[in-house]
Amino acid sequence: MVEETAQQIADREMMLRVGRGDQTAFSALYDRLSGPLYSLALKMLGNASDAQDALQEVFLQIWSRARTYDPEKSSVFSWTVLLTRSRAIDRLRARDRRLRVVVGSTADEARTAEATNASTVESAADTANKNDEAAHLRSLLNNLPSEQRQAIDLAFFGHLTHHEIAAQLGQPLGTVKARIRRGLLRLREQFRT
Amino acid sequence: MISEEQQDQAALYVLGLLETHEVAAFESELKANAELRDIARELREAAGCVALTASSRTPPASLKQRIMRQIAITTEEPVLVSPQRAPFGWVPWAIAAGLAVFCGLLALDRVRLERQLADIRAVDPLMQTTFFTLAPSAPAPADAKATVAWQTGRQSGVIRITNLPAPQPGKDYQLWAVDAEHKDPISAGIVRVDKNGVAQVRFKPVEKAEHVKAFAISLEREGGVPKKEGPILLVGSA
Repeated sequence: MVEETAQQIADREMMLRVGRGDQTAFSALYDRLSGPLYSLALKMLGNASDAQDALQEVFLQIWSRARTYDPEKSSVFSWTVLLTRSRAIDRLRARDRRLRVVVGSTADEARTAEATNASTVESAADTANKNDEAAHLRSLLNNLPSEQRQAIDLAFFGHLTHHEIAAQLGQPLGTVKARIRRGLLRLREQFRT
Repeated sequence: MISEEQQDQAALYVLGLLETHEVAAFESELKANAELRDIARELREAAGCVALTASSRTPPASLKQRIMRQIAITTEEPVLVSPQRAPFGWVPWAIAAGLAVFCGLLALDRVRLERQLADIRAVDPLMQTTFFTLAPSAPAPADAKATVAWQTGRQSGVIRITNLPAPQPGKDYQLWAVDAEHKDPISAGIVRVDKNGVAQVRFKPVEKAEHVKAFAISLEREGGVPKKEGPILLVGSA
């Protein structure tokens, strides 16, 4: 059994209340998760309007499916991240194009700068904390061997299939699978320490 | 002990990269293997970490207002009743007893009527039709509605939808029959509305549905899905 952090326990409690139709808990959950989920949607979709529509779909889905959330399978955060990724992929498919994103690329910075106008102003402390956390995670990701980082980026943000990743990287399928798995497990390990 | 191959499969599974035929096999393996479930959870948490590497942005405040308005529409406010003691304590009991007798009479009458109805249905095809009224649930507009006329004997029906705007590009509305003897809703096909939000189509579920309890319409990927994934927009029983 995987040990939960205090934040994960708090999230789980909140999700339980959302499942009972508690709008106050839903509002609090939105405040906690909307930033990272929006950032993810924005990174994958590349424009603020699409990212907002995707986020709306995700939160309506959270509201209607809160009772089906299974804490044995994942934390609330990871569950909602994967929901968001899934909604963003649906939109990418609908556009019939794929977005290839490289973490920390200048293109990403440019897109997020464009979205700044639509964003609300966070408190300086919040921004600093989030930036610290994101910077820390980016550094963890950057600490991975470059071939693992590249495979994870393409699989997670670019939503390429493992076959497509193998073709793009010119590597055997088995190698690509192993890189994704090793990279994810190593990232998880580093994040815990 | 989990093999590296199983771990690879788990990593692809949490990222939604397994092929459709591999998913079912992996999920049954997951059910039977607690260690594999732990690995899958670890990998999901790692995937969550990857998401956090995106540059941190905040959505506009208006988005939260929009979402909160939508969920408020779907939430019924509980009615609070103040606990006051009645001056004549026996009255509620007398009413309850009267109601119990009345309900008993109604039940007998219902049995008699059901027998009559069954006799009529046996000879009149029109009477073999069951009607379902589907009401909206978020995120469908409040005035969206649908009616289904369903004939179990023929395993076919007709649905009429009104006030349901066309879905966004890349999406389709899909009709489902909720049958008491099937674990999952049975697909009854894609329903396309016209520019006025109206549709009237004949449908046939993909599997036999002899005990349909309800029909529902969900928003799915373009072309439809074999198993319901998207949000329910309209749902109703007979």
